[in-house]
Amino acid sequence: MKNIKLKINNKTRELAVRDSELLIEMLRDRLGLLGTKYSCLEGDCGVCTVLLDGKNVLSCLILAADADGHEVTTIEGIAQKGVLHPLQESFVKNGAIQCGFCTPGMILAAKALLDKDPSPTDGEIASGLDGNLCRCTGYIKIIDAVRQASQRLKDGK
Amino acid sequence: MENRTTSPVGKSVPRVDARKKATGEAVYAFDLNMPGMLVGKMLRSPHPHAKILSIDTSKAQNLEGVAAVITAEDTFKIKFGSNEFFFPNTVDQMALESEKVRYIGDEIAAVAAVDEETAQKALSLISVKYEVLPAVFDAVSAMKPGAPQIHNAMNNIGVMMPVQFGDADKALKASDYIREDVFVLQSAAHCALEPHVSLGRYEVSGGRVTLWTSTQAPFKVREALAKVLKMAETDIRVVKLDVGGGFGGKLEMFPMDFAACLLSKKSGGLPVKIYCTRHEEFSFTRRKHPMIYKLKSGVKRDGTLMAITGEVIADGGAYCSYGPTVIAAAIMRIFMVYKITNIRIMGFRVYTNNPICGAIRGFGGVQSGFAFESHMDMLARGIGMDPVEFRLKNATDPDMTTINKLILSSNGLKDCIKKAAEASGWKNKYAKAKDGSKNTVKGIGMAVAADVMGSKMYKAHESAGSIIKVEEDGSVYLFTGAADTGQGSDTAMAQIAAQELGIAYERVRVKAADTEITPFDTGSFASRVTFISGNATKNAAADAKRQILEVVACELKLEKDELDIRDEQVVKKQDGSVIISFDRAIQLCYSFNYGHLIIGRGSYNPKTTPIDFRTGEGNVSGSYGFEAQVAEVEVNKKTGQVKVLKMYDVHDIGYPINPASVHGQIEGSIIMGIGYTLYEDLKFSEGRVVNPSFSKYRIPRATDTIPIESIFIETNDPQGPFGAKGMGEASLLPTAAAIANAVYDAIGVQIKDLPITPQKVLKALKEKEAV
Repeated sequence: MKNIKLKINNKTRELAVRDSELLIEMLRDRLGLLGTKYSCLEGDCGVCTVLLDGKNVLSCLILAADADGHEVTTIEGIAQKGVLHPLQESFVKNGAIQCGFCTPGMILAAKALLDKDPSPTDGEIASGLDGNLCRCTGYIKIIDAVRQASQRLKDGK
Repeated sequence: MENRTTSPVGKSVPRVDARKKATGEAVYAFDLNMPGMLVGKMLRSPHPHAKILSIDTSKAQNLEGVAAVITAEDTFKIKFGSNEFFFPNTVDQMALESEKVRYIGDEIAAVAAVDEETAQKALSLISVKYEVLPAVFDAVSAMKPGAPQIHNAMNNIGVMMPVQFGDADKALKASDYIREDVFVLQSAAHCALEPHVSLGRYEVSGGRVTLWTSTQAPFKVREALAKVLKMAETDIRVVKLDVGGGFGGKLEMFPMDFAACLLSKKSGGLPVKIYCTRHEEFSFTRRKHPMIYKLKSGVKRDGTLMAITGEVIADGGAYCSYGPTVIAAAIMRIFMVYKITNIRIMGFRVYTNNPICGAIRGFGGVQSGFAFESHMDMLARGIGMDPVEFRLKNATDPDMTTINKLILSSNGLKDCIKKAAEASGWKNKYAKAKDGSKNTVKGIGMAVAADVMGSKMYKAHESAGSIIKVEEDGSVYLFTGAADTGQGSDTAMAQIAAQELGIAYERVRVKAADTEITPFDTGSFASRVTFISGNATKNAAADAKRQILEVVACELKLEKDELDIRDEQVVKKQDGSVIISFDRAIQLCYSFNYGHLIIGRGSYNPKTTPIDFRTGEGNVSGSYGFEAQVAEVEVNKKTGQVKVLKMYDVHDIGYPINPASVHGQIEGSIIMGIGYTLYEDLKFSEGRVVNPSFSKYRIPRATDTIPIESIFIETNDPQGPFGAKGMGEASLLPTAAAIANAVYDAIGVQIKDLPITPQKVLKALKEKEAV
């Protein structure tokens, strides 16, 4: 076991984690943050994407202990006081959500992209989401949603 | 209520479940955790074909932390299957096999333990003695005399299905041009991102069980569980939560569903969760039938399609699953698109010792779409006819009865073809001279398809039911058996209910797919939900509306037949003049004198006729959907790489309940279709899947997506709810042929073997040069 201290969705947490505990296990099993989905556990599909210090990472490939001292953001952490993040709002409005299983990871990967580059081209959006698989939408409405959200964020609305 | 969307049908309202999915609050089966919950695991056969001599579970049972171990000895050894009503011979699988295993992955035991590590260890402690039998891994070999016998089926043929009308031989003789082609199609995986999960909890005192499972068909799961567990259907509650995609892969009861229930019972009622790893998803759930199509057809010089003959051989794997439905789709969909009167095709589904094939978006329609639509293009070219003209000449019409007695009422196929040609600029692009000096060449290709709205092959009826409950404050519950797995049926049902009831979409809360509280529904498959469950919901809403209007008419001394509810007001039908508000009407219903609880109910069973499986005659669906697709590709002659540049999809959807959802289905289908056409290929070695991960089995990624122009043809189907048709499968059916035909247009070679890999393109180009 190891004692770690980290920020999760803007709250400081102190936890004792197993040496082999994955970040996804800590988030889901210990903290009940079930929006981080669980699918391949091999780093291939992207549904467990979270933000580590603002960068999108796969929580199935990171040990919880290695998040010590860092800042983790999950899908539960991006809406502010019940108001959806512009990306969430845009995914809802643009029909970018079908089964929804890829959605949390997709939105977080898109957030990491827009935080770094507020005006990506469609090609850059696709590249930014390339590690996040979706079997339902064909990605078209997802790319639409990210493009529209980037516009809204720039307009400060 | 702030946002009010009245008359929501035809509007792209946000989905009812979109917000909870965007915030991570949606609950999928794996997200359910319960006190005392155990982890269950399945013991699977390591052999493709073997006799089970003995199973010793004593060591596993004695391991600390193990709560229960089950084998076939704990079961009634009852077989289950998916096409039992019409094909009792295809009921061939047991929840746990006891005598023989037939593929690598066949379930023979299951354990429940306190954690995953213990469960895994318990599996390794179960000792099974096998006598390994000779195995067979391809359908053609399996049909030969002397091949290993997998079931008690002659030549391992599990399903044999003909279609036969007219005199095909005579019509071939009367043809001006005849050609024979062989098409080969590979296996593929569904790749729903949510793996299969089953969580069972047995209630010891009541002798009842609840199963939370990732399913497209909770009532079908319940039916199979009731059969194999010998329990009443009311003692089994199957609950569908949010489901992370299905695509046909979650359409049956799986041994893990059964095991989760029985392990919980044997553990004294502790809940048991079993889930598939991604490796298990790829290797042991269901997959697409690989098929071989041998077709020989003839046409007149004027383009008249004279005769189609042929044979389809499908590798079905170890058990039958939805085999009959798949074969029916593989050989019968042709009648919906072409006016063919002389036809003879024999379909065979053959047992092998490969993993089980089953339903996957389109059943056998994807295979059929590639083979027939490539073949049709080649027939057209053979007589020097433009493939668009050829299709227009032979396409089916509205209000016609086909030779096999399909009743096509609304039919926009010809409009789809014309519009697709127009939108894609076909005339200026097709069969144009190519610049021979360039490595990359562009091409254009078309294919058409049709789709059923349900297929009555699973039970005597294909009904769905809905209940509408209007509460005292005017908010509305809709209980529907329809299973939303991401396609958006909860939203479509809410829109239909609100439209019929004349109220705002936002008033409706949907409670769906829980066998204990919602009406029956056969499930989400065969593009049936909007059409069938939609009609049931419309009927329920109409019933609720009638009850409300009766109260209003009685109180205000008006004729109820003269009243309607529109835009949240009770109005006079004739002039639309407002009588009272919907809210006031509900207050009246629940007032001192009336106290009338508004509970509307509706069901719907499509008007069909039984199929005669000796000929293929029968009207399988209540209505039919149609479409034409055009692919524009670029082929690199040096590398063999095929790049799809753009797809056009023109679709007779009847009327779109939710246009954004309909476009979403079309876009998703096409991108899935491009994956199957160009690279998806589930590969096997001696019955073992060799690429069971997303890193080895590539599916389309965000960077693989392409521009899609999706156009609707609105035919307002007379039987569809508000004119709507189902369309969840159709757009996947023509994609492969449209691309293959475009590749031909680019480089003059027809690839008849999917996927169209660079190696196959280069080989075909080389062979062409050699000629």
